[in-house]
Amino acid sequence: MEEKNKAQATSDSEDIINLVIARLKTIPSNVELSVGNEGSFSVDELIESVRKQDDIGKKMIEMQLAYLRSLGKLPTQELQNAPVTN
Amino acid sequence: MLLLLTRPRYDTPTHYLFYWTGLLIDEAKKNSVKVIDLDKSKAKKKKLHSYLEKQPIDMVILNGHGNQKAVAGEDNEIILSTGNGTKLLKNKIIFVRACNAGTILGKEIIQQGARGFIGYVQPFIFPSDKDSFSKPLEDELAAPVLECSNQVGTSLIKGKSAIEAHEDSLGKYTKAINKYSSSEAKNSFLLPILFWDMTSQICYQP
Repeated sequence: MEEKNKAQATSDSEDIINLVIARLKTIPSNVELSVGNEGSFSVDELIESVRKQDDIGKKMIEMQLAYLRSLGKLPTQELQNAPVTN
Repeated sequence: MLLLLTRPRYDTPTHYLFYWTGLLIDEAKKNSVKVIDLDKSKAKKKKLHSYLEKQPIDMVILNGHGNQKAVAGEDNEIILSTGNGTKLLKNKIIFVRACNAGTILGKEIIQQGARGFIGYVQPFIFPSDKDSFSKPLEDELAAPVLECSNQVGTSLIKGKSAIEAHEDSLGKYTKAINKYSSSEAKNSFLLPILFWDMTSQICYQP
């Protein structure tokens, strides 16, 4: 049962990463994002950060999920409750 | 009325905030508000504290990088932090356009007797067009976010309270979100950024 839960959590986490990357890919390539103290990042750099789940990547995930939650558009309850922390 | 502002300029975010804060200086002049402009190398702790000690300043707008406990000026020098300068803000309204300073620093500023504080409890994020770096005020991608954020300063300059200025800014974010939510709108990728900055902006007023 525990193994099954772990597998489900991994799958949910991958779904979130893929969802966020898909959304970041809609940003035109001429755009840079200034993210506070961390600097300015191209779209490709942001996508790489999301893949690596570094601090910038986690912030991008948090930002995209916050917006989707505001719309009530996340596809499953599991995704809505998925932990994304700094 | 006397407004003091800092606007360092040494990297892309501060470069943009430098120019967009210039619009607030123009607005202040239009409204007969006197301005102390600590720009670039003048955005240093010693200068800031000296002006706060000696001048009858009503409003303070700090732009730059920040964290939960501090705000930086030129070349990332910490110019205000918990236990260091917050008492100088007594009876003033403060807008800190820097990351995260709303969490701890803002609360201390209010505890030290400020009339109001507006800031952010998360990183302040904004987009820019690489091709517009030399003309930040003409950057159509940065404008939606920075206009909403600038509204705080514009409303304060017009004599509004911290809460009123904060609400004016949130109203502007809401309008921008509605605009970019329309099915015909270009650049809908701005929506999560607008929502993020809007929900990260906080106001404390005793």
